Amino acid sequence: MSELNEMGCHEFSDVAAELALGVLTGRERAQALAHLDHCASCREKVRELTATGEGLLGLLPSVEPPAGFEARVMDRLGLSAPAPSPARQASWASRLALLGRKPARRAPAGQARLAGRTRRVLALAAVTLAIVAAGLGGWALRPGTSAPAGAPLSSATLLSASHQAAGKIFLYEGSSRWLYMSVDMPGGDGTVTCEVESQDGHITTVGSFSLTDGHGYWGSPVPPVHGSLTGARLIGPGGTVLATASFHSY
Amino acid sequence: MGTSTDQQPDETLLAGLGAGDAELSLAFVRRFQGLVFGAAITVVGDAKTAEDVAQQAFEQAWRHAQVFDSRRGSVRAWLRTITHNLAVDAVRARTATPVDPDDLPAILAAVTDTPERVAEAHDNAAELRRTLAGLPEPQARAVAMAGIYGMTAQQIADSEHIPLGTAKTRIRDGMQKLRAAYLPEEAGNE
Repeated sequence: MSELNEMGCHEFSDVAAELALGVLTGRERAQALAHLDHCASCREKVRELTATGEGLLGLLPSVEPPAGFEARVMDRLGLSAPAPSPARQASWASRLALLGRKPARRAPAGQARLAGRTRRVLALAAVTLAIVAAGLGGWALRPGTSAPAGAPLSSATLLSASHQAAGKIFLYEGSSRWLYMSVDMPGGDGTVTCEVESQDGHITTVGSFSLTDGHGYWGSPVPPVHGSLTGARLIGPGGTVLATASFHSY
Repeated sequence: MGTSTDQQPDETLLAGLGAGDAELSLAFVRRFQGLVFGAAITVVGDAKTAEDVAQQAFEQAWRHAQVFDSRRGSVRAWLRTITHNLAVDAVRARTATPVDPDDLPAILAAVTDTPERVAEAHDNAAELRRTLAGLPEPQARAVAMAGIYGMTAQQIADSEHIPLGTAKTRIRDGMQKLRAAYLPEEAGNE
C-alpha cells in the first residue's frame, strides 16, 4: 500500500479545515486527498467546511470600486456600454424581441464573431438554459448546449381574457423545442400551468410555475409534439384559462 | 413585472454576460462590482491591485458563464470565490506576508460588524458572523488568516510566533465552531 493512503479519519479531521480553505500543502495535502478518495464521510465533512469557508467570504464588506470601473470592465470584455434607449427601459423579454430586429452587437474580444441571428438564438438558448438550470424550470439541465444557426425563433404576446397584454412568450425550435416566458398579470398569484397547442388542435402540457404578485419568469423544454405549435395558454389553479398567445415567426 | 435589467435574476444576467449581451453584461457588472471589489481590496489591500483583480474576476465570469451550475451554489458565491482565488494568488505572487498582523483586528471588526439590521437577522450568515465575533481571538485570527488571506498554517505560525501545531489547532477548532453555526443541521448529524 502506498504511504499516501495511510491517513485515517482521525488524522484527516485535523487537517480537513485547512484542505477546505485551500491552504493545505505538500505531503499532507496529497495524503488528505488520497484519504478522500475512499472516505465518503470525510468528503462530506470537507464539503461542509468548504461551504463554511464560502460563508466566511460572504461576510466581507461590499466596497464600491473607483469611478469608471464598470466602463473599464466592459472595455476589457470587448463590450460597449449600451446607450440609453427605449430598449434600456423595456423588459428583458421585450428586449429579446428587439434584439431580433437589430443588427448584431459587438462580439466579446477573443471570440469569433457570430452572425446576428445565430447570436440572438444563442443568447436566448443560454438564458433559457440558465433559467432552467437554476431550478425555475421543470427540468434540471446543464447549460452549455448551443442552438443551431438559423433556428427559428417565434414570439407571442400573452393576452388575458380581457385582451390585456399579460406577458410575452418566446419559442425556440431548433434540434429541440424550448419555451421561455415572462408573465405580468396582476392578481394572478399561485401556480399556473403552461399548455401549448399544435397545428392539429392537440393540447400538450409543458409544465407549471409560480407567479408572485402576478409576476413570473419561466423556461422549459417542450415535450415532443407532432407538427408545429400555433399557440400557448396559461391555466390557473382552478382550471381557468388565464391567458392565451398565438405564435408568429420573426 | 420587472421592467429593467435591475430586476432580472442573477442567473439571467450571468447568462447574458456569457452570451455577450452588452446590456445584461453591464447590469451584471453593476450588480456585483461592490461585492467583487470589496472581496478583492480586503485581501490585496490596495486599490490598484484590487481593481486589476476585480476586472480579472469579471473576465473569468464571462469566460466561464456557460459552465456555471446553479445546483452547486449561487452566482454571488461563485463570483466571490473566483475573486477570492484571484486575490489570494495576487498576494502570494508579491509577498510572503499576505496580511500585517496589526491589521487583523480591524479586518475582524469589519466582518463581524453587526449593525442593528444584521444583529436582528437569524439566517445562517448572521449566525456565522456572531460565532466569528465570539471566537477566542487567537482562533478568529487564525481563521481569518487562512480563510480570507489564504495563509498556510506554517505562515500563520511564523506570523503569530506560535508552534505549527498550535496554528493548525486554532484553524481546526475555529472552523469547526463556525461550521456548527453555519450548517447546524449537518453538525447535528455527527
